[in-house]
Amino acid sequence: MKPVTGYSRTALILHWFLAVSIFFLFVSSWWMLGLPLASAEYRFREIPFQLHKNLGITLVAVIIVMLYVRFKHRPQPELSKILSPTLSRLAIVDHVILYVIIFACCVSGYLSSAYSGWSTTLWWLVDLPDWGYENEELNMLYSDIHLWTCWILLAVMAVHISGALYHAFRNDGVVRRMLHL
Amino acid sequence: MNTAEAPDWASRLGVIAILLGILLAASQANEWLKLSIVGSPPYTVATMPEPDCDEDELAEEGLSLTECLQLAYAVHDISISAPGWFKSFHTTVSAVGMVLALLSVLIGIALVDYRPWAGAAAVPVFGALAVLDIAAFTGVVNTGPMIRQMYLWSILLWFFIHLAMAIGAIVGRQDVQATLRPAGT
Repeated sequence: MKPVTGYSRTALILHWFLAVSIFFLFVSSWWMLGLPLASAEYRFREIPFQLHKNLGITLVAVIIVMLYVRFKHRPQPELSKILSPTLSRLAIVDHVILYVIIFACCVSGYLSSAYSGWSTTLWWLVDLPDWGYENEELNMLYSDIHLWTCWILLAVMAVHISGALYHAFRNDGVVRRMLHL
Repeated sequence: MNTAEAPDWASRLGVIAILLGILLAASQANEWLKLSIVGSPPYTVATMPEPDCDEDELAEEGLSLTECLQLAYAVHDISISAPGWFKSFHTTVSAVGMVLALLSVLIGIALVDYRPWAGAAAVPVFGALAVLDIAAFTGVVNTGPMIRQMYLWSILLWFFIHLAMAIGAIVGRQDVQATLRPAGT
């Protein structure tokens, strides 16, 4: 059997899709919240908000597939064989937090939307069921959770990227596990 | 420690290309979206309807009434300051920039997970990004002051980043060629 030298190609593609999508969600959300509040005459927010929600929902699916692929296909060499035990543990903690925070950020965003009274059409094709109802308090609560989990996500991503930069600058082969084409 | 086959310069330049390529791709995609939404608003400042600034909505968004009204005016920032050609020009620059940014991510991956062709491919891709920045800069210079204050500085910043990356790739490639050249030639 051919030895596995890194993450699978599926994990690799999903990882980089996730990376671009998350940064796009950040930059586009900052811009779209500067658009006029929605009304019958002002409909500028419609497309960006639907796109934001659709991409967020898609990322939840991507995360689930990534976790499945990650556990099905364990990359070699393992981190513990490359890094010190402390750094290896830190890397695992960073990954777990990253997955949890991305998930929490996406789900809280969707919940906020579900209680806002605005419906979601998945990629302009499928009308998702309106299982939520218009509730200002719940909308605000999930909106706050969404906001804070996203700020935490940005901070955790900075740690994650710092780790990647550190290993790539040392050229020690750790980063290459996620880059093996 | 260096247990890798990749030269150090390739690993370092590669990871920077990946990081900046991802950031640029996201930014250009947003620029493209922005122009398609507010590039040509359906009404002018003179004919724009009264924005709906409901108190509950203002509280939810953390906005003052003045800010809410200003958001409606801000939609026109691009259209009133840009000449007719700007929307198609900037949309094209954003689309090409997005493609080149994604290409630079691929080049970055090929530099870290070292492929001998990656150094040679990096020069035209990073160079093309710098040339695109010059084109974008030239275009924006020929618009109004509102567009210039929105874009000029960030384009200049990206230009110098891409220039540094292109020069880094050229020097890295020269190193590779020097090691391949027989001694004394």
